[in-house]
Amino acid sequence: MVKAEKKEQSASTHKIGIYMWIWGLLFVLSFFSYMVDWYNFQGMLRWSLILFFMFLKAGLIMAFFMHLFWERYALVNVLLWPMTAIACFIFLMVAEFEYTLFSRAFYFVVGGGA
Amino acid sequence: MSDEYDNNKTYQAQSSETMGGSAPASPDMDYVRPAEIPDQELYHGHSFITKWVFCQDAKVIGVQYFLTAVFTGVVGLILSWLMRLQLGFPGAAGFMTAEHYYQFVTMHGMIMVVYFLTALFLGGFGNYLIPLMVGARDMVFPYVNMISFWMFFIAVAVLMASFFVPGGPTGAGWTLYPPQTILPGTPGAGMGILLMLVSLSLFVIGFTMGGLNYLITILQARTRGMTLMRMPLTVWGIFTATVLAMLAFPALLVSAIMMTLDKILGTSFFMPTIIQAGEVLDYGGGSPILFQHLFWFFGHPEVYIVALPAFGIVSDLISVHSRKNIFGYRMMVWAIVGIGALSFFVWAHHMYVSGMNPWFGFFFATTTLIIAVPTAMKVYNWILTLWRGNIRLNTVMLWCLGFIVTFVNGGITGIFLGNVSVDVPLSDTYFVIAHFHMVMGIAPLMVIMGAVYHWFPLVSGKFLDEKLGKWHFWFTFLGAYSIYFPMHYLGFIGVPRRYFEMYDSPYMTSAVGMNEFISMAAFIVGAAQFILIYNIIKTLKVGKKAGHNPWKANSLEWLTSTVPPEHGNFGERLPVVHRWPYDFSVPGAKEDYITQTTPPSEVVHTEVEKT
Amino acid sequence: MSDPKIEGLQLKPGFRGMADDTGSDQTMFKGVHWGKAMMWIFLLSDTFVFSCFLISYMKGRGSTLVDWPYPSEVFALHVGGVSVPLLLIAIMTFVLITSSGTMALAVKYGYEKNRKMCGWLVLATALGGLTFVGMQAFEWSKLIEEGVRPWENPFGAAQFGSFFFMITGFHGTHVSIGVIFLFIYAYKVFAGHYENGGKRGWFTTMKGDYVEIEILGLYWHFVDLVWVFIFAFFYLW
Ligand code: HEM
Ligand SMILES: [Cu+2]
Repeated sequence: MVKAEKKEQSASTHKIGIYMWIWGLLFVLSFFSYMVDWYNFQGMLRWSLILFFMFLKAGLIMAFFMHLFWERYALVNVLLWPMTAIACFIFLMVAEFEYTLFSRAFYFVVGGGA
Repeated sequence: MSDEYDNNKTYQAQSSETMGGSAPASPDMDYVRPAEIPDQELYHGHSFITKWVFCQDAKVIGVQYFLTAVFTGVVGLILSWLMRLQLGFPGAAGFMTAEHYYQFVTMHGMIMVVYFLTALFLGGFGNYLIPLMVGARDMVFPYVNMISFWMFFIAVAVLMASFFVPGGPTGAGWTLYPPQTILPGTPGAGMGILLMLVSLSLFVIGFTMGGLNYLITILQARTRGMTLMRMPLTVWGIFTATVLAMLAFPALLVSAIMMTLDKILGTSFFMPTIIQAGEVLDYGGGSPILFQHLFWFFGHPEVYIVALPAFGIVSDLISVHSRKNIFGYRMMVWAIVGIGALSFFVWAHHMYVSGMNPWFGFFFATTTLIIAVPTAMKVYNWILTLWRGNIRLNTVMLWCLGFIVTFVNGGITGIFLGNVSVDVPLSDTYFVIAHFHMVMGIAPLMVIMGAVYHWFPLVSGKFLDEKLGKWHFWFTFLGAYSIYFPMHYLGFIGVPRRYFEMYDSPYMTSAVGMNEFISMAAFIVGAAQFILIYNIIKTLKVGKKAGHNPWKANSLEWLTSTVPPEHGNFGERLPVVHRWPYDFSVPGAKEDYITQTTPPSEVVHTEVEKT
Repeated sequence: MSDPKIEGLQLKPGFRGMADDTGSDQTMFKGVHWGKAMMWIFLLSDTFVFSCFLISYMKGRGSTLVDWPYPSEVFALHVGGVSVPLLLIAIMTFVLITSSGTMALAVKYGYEKNRKMCGWLVLATALGGLTFVGMQAFEWSKLIEEGVRPWENPFGAAQFGSFFFMITGFHGTHVSIGVIFLFIYAYKVFAGHYENGGKRGWFTTMKGDYVEIEILGLYWHFVDLVWVFIFAFFYLW
């Protein structure tokens, strides 16, 4: 029900504060992701930090700047489902590039079955 | 059901009461809540140009799409004649070289799939029927809709222009696989392929404009009382197909852009290291498989972009012409949506022999076979709709029956090809040709024909000639089977597709008679299509007047203020919808149909569906 | 935006509301302007375009045998003899986020019918976008000077330049289109096209309304959103 109450406030009454907050957070998060490079983190740590900040930023932009947080679920629902197709595509293409890399290494570097 | 409609509760209570006897019709049982959005204001054209050329009326735009698509379809047909001439009677067409053959195959395939069927179903039927069927005055953005058609028109013009540039059109196959697509040696590897890519990009942009219109009209501009679950299945089919198009065409656009860059800037997105005639080309390090993934991420949904509107339309035609409600309406809707969703997870079943990650075969064979489940449900439901129906065996019904048979046929060979171990020997043979022509060539074509005979009285106010229609049907139906049935056999003995001639291979002797027969049938089927054109011209001149709602159908497109419908569709007031469009042969009703606008109080003594 | 008031209809919150809205007549997105619904669906389609680009990039980069150039060094700027990694990119990100913030405020003031504030903020957003495009042009020319071409580069795999120019180019095109529209709409706001019931648009029979600023805003935030992903995958990976 907390959600429901939040949804009560209408467009014109969004406090300016909320936008300022999100704005500030976006700067801070961008700064953090920049720091990932600055401190030269590597490996899984780097990846998880990059992805974490990326999704957080994307989420904030969509939820508040694009108002999805205040939209009714019918719209949100329609927008989010198609992302499963993208997720599947990404997942499979990861498997695919690993296989391509493997076969290139196998045939071009190692010399293949010949 | 939700309790938004106050009238809904009374309605349900009332219809169970009627079982026992009579109930007094209370006035508020017909209540439908007021309109949320004020009536749409339309721009009415005044001159010939704004009325018929740059027109903003979705119905005119639909007809424009239809005619342009049919024009490209005739070009595709003529190309298929030329191919069949060469295959059946090698050398009979003197000018035909192997290069020409490749170019014709490519243009035939691309034209038929994208510029003919997609444009016809979504641009043609979509524009004409969506606003009428959901009870809107027009598409929500008429101006954008008009631009959409002209983009399509330019795309067609660019495509046709490629026949006349040096080197001719591309001959890379409609799948445009790199690296050969853009390498010298492939016909049309210069200007031809570039124009093809430009044309496809224009098509995608134009389609996006139209597609947004279709979707928002369906989602946000329905009339009072029209819920999603009261829409005719035609609208559901076109809607889902448009969603697929909006999400699948981006992959085509991206692959077209990347291929264009490979061609003109010399990037190597898709181009591996290549040695041509002993010389190492500048390309290197790209991935041809990536193109195939992108192409089929578009390509498989594309198959359903063609099939789903056909599914929807045929459901409506069957229901109207067998005077029965569609069996399992909700199941049909969910099957359409389910097929649409699944179609994004099966694309690499076109790539079993491509050298992709071998594990993919398992994943994609599974998802592919799962799609067969909702598809089979639809076929059962069509048959159960016909079951004990009051079937009118007119031309429209004949096309519908032809569709069901053909679709089942093509669907079953699809299950063969979905299995990796069966597909590997069969891929790139005539078995595949036979499969996809049955399932996405002939079957949707039959629906288009049925739809033309069904809706022509709405568009023109006159009935097409039944006798000519039946000739047209039987020539096409028997002819199409004569063409494609033998092709399955050719595929089994191993005749490869996209071959200009069979050279000295053993197929040459064993397939020769069959190829002659197939070609003869193809000429006849192609020629038979001109019966329709003759029929249309004749009808426009001397056809029988159809009048209002000639098929006694229920959906809104037949309930317009005038026939053919004017700009704005419904006269002064928009219709108010009280039920689904399938109340046929309702026990106790005065007539064998109850239109969507009939309020409950007028049918108190009947057991109607509670939709 | 927020829940609209609709005559004869009690809107429910949450998932119940989702089911009811979806099952209701007339509209599925209650109170959502046609143009806004259209922009959302368009952005969904555009998301697929950018996803396909980025997925291709992932596939290309992941399967290369040749070393991929090290972005941290390639994109470094020399400030007073010290090489600062990704400095320009950081500034570009800063500019784009700033413009996203001004856009969000423009939408807010638009809904409050505050013509002056709304107009100035749209204009500020346009200028932010212009700065971004300018800096991108600078970045491109710098890389081209260093010998990076779409088909080759001195640092490693040729695909690096191909994907870089293609993807940032496509994004930059989006930004540029956005900037043009921002200027047009800044003009429309100042000219009062959305005041007193609204003036008819140029190609439509619909009356102007401040919701158009929100629609424009959706596009602009989307451009920012895409940059978030490009930043993560292109510059940080
Ligand atoms: C009278 C009707 C038709 C005839 C006689 C016909 C004939 C042919 C022939 C001979 C080929 C080339 C086979 C080869 O050498 O590989 C072909 C390919 C093809 N046809 Fe048709 N066709 C007809 C209608 C259609 C329709 C309605 C469609 C729409 C889906 C269609 C889609 C295709 C496609 C996609 C290809 C593959 C092109 C390629 O390999 O690149 N055809 N057709
Ligand atoms: Cu497929």
